Amino acid sequence: MLETATANLPFAVRQYSAEQLREALRKMLLIRRFEEGAEDSYTRGLIHGTMHLSIGQEASAVGACMPLTDADKITSTHRGHGHCIAKGAEVARMFAEFFGKETGYCRGRGGSMHIADVTKGNLGANGIVAGGIPIAVGAALSAKRLKTGSVVLCFFGDGAGNEGAFHESLNMAAIWDLPVVFFCENNKYAMSTATERSTAVHNIAERAAAYAMPGITVDGNDFSAVAEASHVAVERARAGQGPSLIESVTYRWRGHSKSDRNRYRSKEEIESWVARDPIGRFAELLREQAILDAEGFKALEDAVEREIAAAIDFAKTSPAPDPLALTRDVYTERPA
Amino acid sequence: MSMPLRETPTEVRELSYAEAIRDGLAVAMERDERVILMGEDIGVYGGAFQVSGDLVQRFGEDRVVDTPISELGGAGIAVGAALTGLRPVYEFQFSDFATLAMEQIVNQAAKLRFMLGGAVSVPLVMRFPAGSGTGAAAQHSQSLEAWFGHVPGLKVCQAATPYDAKGLLLAALEDPDPVMLFEHKLLYKTKGPVPEGHYTVPIGQAHLCRRGGDVTIVATAVMVHRALAAADKLAEEGIEAEVIDLRTIRPLDRKTVVESVAKTSRLMVVYEGVKTLGIGAEVSAMIAESEAFDYLDAPIVRLGGAEAPIPYNPDLEKAAVPQEPDILEAARSLVRGRL
Amino acid sequence: MPVEVIMPKVDMDMTRGRVAAWHVEEGAAVATGDPLFDIETDKAAMEVESPASGRLHHIRAAAGAEVAIGTAIAWIYAEGEAVCDPPAADTAATVPAQIGSPEDTAEPMAAQHPRPSDALSSSVEKARATPQARRLARESGLTLNVIEGSGPRGRIGGADVEAHLLRNEGAAAETTQGWQAEAGSLVVHRAGSGKRTPILLIHGFAADADGWQKLEPYLAPDHPRLKLELPGHGRSPKRPVESFRGLARMVVEAFDREDLPGAHLVGHSLGGALALALADVRPKRIASLSLLAPAGLGPEIDGRILSGVARAGRKDSLAPWLRELVHNGTLISGDYVAAAMRARQDPALRAYQRDLAETLFPDSTQSVDLLAALERLQVPTQIVWGRADRVVPWKQALRAPGRVALHLLREVGHLPQIETPEDLAPLLNNLIRLAELDRPPMTLDAKGVAL
Repeated sequence: MLETATANLPFAVRQYSAEQLREALRKMLLIRRFEEGAEDSYTRGLIHGTMHLSIGQEASAVGACMPLTDADKITSTHRGHGHCIAKGAEVARMFAEFFGKETGYCRGRGGSMHIADVTKGNLGANGIVAGGIPIAVGAALSAKRLKTGSVVLCFFGDGAGNEGAFHESLNMAAIWDLPVVFFCENNKYAMSTATERSTAVHNIAERAAAYAMPGITVDGNDFSAVAEASHVAVERARAGQGPSLIESVTYRWRGHSKSDRNRYRSKEEIESWVARDPIGRFAELLREQAILDAEGFKALEDAVEREIAAAIDFAKTSPAPDPLALTRDVYTERPA
Repeated sequence: MSMPLRETPTEVRELSYAEAIRDGLAVAMERDERVILMGEDIGVYGGAFQVSGDLVQRFGEDRVVDTPISELGGAGIAVGAALTGLRPVYEFQFSDFATLAMEQIVNQAAKLRFMLGGAVSVPLVMRFPAGSGTGAAAQHSQSLEAWFGHVPGLKVCQAATPYDAKGLLLAALEDPDPVMLFEHKLLYKTKGPVPEGHYTVPIGQAHLCRRGGDVTIVATAVMVHRALAAADKLAEEGIEAEVIDLRTIRPLDRKTVVESVAKTSRLMVVYEGVKTLGIGAEVSAMIAESEAFDYLDAPIVRLGGAEAPIPYNPDLEKAAVPQEPDILEAARSLVRGRL
Repeated sequence: MPVEVIMPKVDMDMTRGRVAAWHVEEGAAVATGDPLFDIETDKAAMEVESPASGRLHHIRAAAGAEVAIGTAIAWIYAEGEAVCDPPAADTAATVPAQIGSPEDTAEPMAAQHPRPSDALSSSVEKARATPQARRLARESGLTLNVIEGSGPRGRIGGADVEAHLLRNEGAAAETTQGWQAEAGSLVVHRAGSGKRTPILLIHGFAADADGWQKLEPYLAPDHPRLKLELPGHGRSPKRPVESFRGLARMVVEAFDREDLPGAHLVGHSLGGALALALADVRPKRIASLSLLAPAGLGPEIDGRILSGVARAGRKDSLAPWLRELVHNGTLISGDYVAAAMRARQDPALRAYQRDLAETLFPDSTQSVDLLAALERLQVPTQIVWGRADRVVPWKQALRAPGRVALHLLREVGHLPQIETPEDLAPLLNNLIRLAELDRPPMTLDAKGVAL
């Protein structure tokens, strides 16, 4: 009786404590507010360059990272703010990086596109599509060879699936049974080009068959579905059974970057995805499961707002890098 | 030979350049469990130029990893492994194939440390069998080292002797940053004294191979040997050439070259890469910008590769890169004031 | 370079002078010291002697003319030197530059297919010269357009400037008559006021007491410093030397004259060999011995460099040899060369040293072997050598007995006292200190004999 009841519950509710679930929701909210704050700061001219926002993809980032520990690694993408926060980074140092400050994660050298908290196992966002995929496989090779027991989760987009590096990497990870999870966030468009126009297979997960590994397509806006797929793949990797490919179908509400004029998709399409807001859906699940009521949700939102405001303040008041130190960290400085 | 005097004396054997590298790899693998080799056909085949040889028998397939023909992925995996605690040595079967992996070398390996504000380092060693003279034509004979020398974050070496090949490899494996080792294929079978055991040749230090007061010849890789042979003939004619083997092209050993040119007042740079926008341009410009400028008593001469892909026909192939007679004639003209 | 003849100031309150008469005509030959012209002031008349030998040109003040003191009134050119416009010539008098003459533009081929070099030479009225030539000319105060270039398209190279300078000097060199033997003791300069056992410094071939200047500030201040100058070097008399032994006797004689209770010896190169020879005959009075790149330990020596230094009569011919002496050629600055050349201005001194080199180092070989002396010696001894020494190979040090300490300095040539005084001095000071720990500072007994 009890077993049946439990079996009907979503995976996330069965797998994680209420505390863990509330924390997952908090992280999703933090990602959303962080990116809104970044967008606002960009509009005010406080942020230089461009950025790629993942608003609408929060369940994908946080769900994927649920089974990971700080010892596990991720590689991230140009749309990597969510991955970075999901893997445990502090928003204050992220904002400081966006503002180009010495207190930023990359000391103002990397910006949005290279954001990472390496101490939490994030090997870096990457400005090159598919650039992080072989690196993730290399990290998995280290984990296997050095017997660290850790797993690497490799984020990439639907566009990266058409790069040679993707195919070469999946092949090698498979022949060497490496502990890596290839996690494709299919948000439907590689910049402006729809997956239907660029990709021969209907589901990117089908490509797993070519490399003799499990492949699964999940609703990327369903936190529990994402977490479940990630959980299974991470367990498999940790058990030494090799890589998996997960396709998490999601949608970015904003344009590709700040210069996108949205000519390739309709307002209706965007609105249909906004209606499937991953945060709203996950908050609803927690309400249904009596894990977080409306008041609790409000409190969570308020706390996140305060955290974001304090983080922006920290970034604004942080020192800028010294131009004289321009070439620092090009090479490792070694005592003479 | 620039054998450090401080090292404990060990037995010195005659080894070929390829054997010296293999010896260095074995020394490193014995000393450090983290050292692994990656590349195409480096296992039972022993490597296209028999550099890895029997290492797979000695260290096993886990540490001598045959990769599929996937240069971009393979290079990237080496980058990721270096980033996370291993010390991979990645062998390109031919340096030309590095063009397939430029993304990972130039965008990732060279920049990760900088982009992440110093939070990581990439202790990666890559080996590139390079150069012409083997009849392998345009896609298997290039000298692309200057491309890599243009990338901050990389270090780029070209050993000319078995001694330096082993010493630079071992230095590269102790370096926290990515080091690219270009090995001229014609050198693999050349022999020279190589001490047993561990020693290093400092990266970034040129080697003054021959002293002379009349002209400074700065050379790299196989050109060092051609320059030395030419210098012996020049000496018979009363011209004393000073020959500097750069050994590392990034970072350049400015001091050694500047001091030499200040002494000889004449500079010639000999390298196999395409002449334009190459090592010669950099060394020449460095001298023009240096305190040695005021000592120049003749135009600077560059002898580099022809403005053409490397051809197949053996005579054409020879004509495409500087040979000993070219060096001889150019040095004569330079010293006798005909240029 | 022509030598200026100026209106001299011969009287305290003289501001101008009148040329009364010229004794030499324009273009005529004149020798140094010959009467050149007479001047009259309101107080006196006097004869002015020629400041140089050669031919008189460009007389600017004819008899009767009155000019301000210091004004150049004529120039003396060396025999064979091309006569050109004097350096301070009135610009109006110079030959106009030949730019864009009709012949140049009338050449249609040249106009249609200008070679880059021609285009340059016609549009830029500038001498074509290498950086080296420009530097040498600058350092010698020469303008490039007086020099003929032998390179492609008339380019002036360093050798052209040197040849030009040599031609001008050739005449002067011919007038020197070698050197004349002198008598007297070798000069010993004293410096420092310390009360402890003095340090006796003996310089090397073609150097002098000033060569220790860079080292001295680093030496232990409580030891007075005595700087011996070898014969025909610095201010010491040009005493004839037949052999190394004869030279060593002069050094011993000078040491005896100083009547020191004892001394720490520091000798460089030839001075090292002499210090060793001195220690060999006065062992009881030597507290310690520091030999810097010493001669006397092996046959090899680069006589080319030594004779190059000894022969060089100008900064430009001296500089390349000085650079051979050190590891880092950039240490040899223009100022350094100028100072070194000032000390070697006397042609007789150079001639003396040339002969001395021939006597001591015939055919690039050291004619003296002091290994036996080194074996015999009991005083604390060290050898300091630059690994990059190109004059005397450091490997000769390996012949020293085990008792002798050996310091090999990296990236240092033949002149450690100049190249790395801050590293050398601690070695010297340490040995001095250690030697005095072994036995107390030396004193004289009542009879004036060293204990």
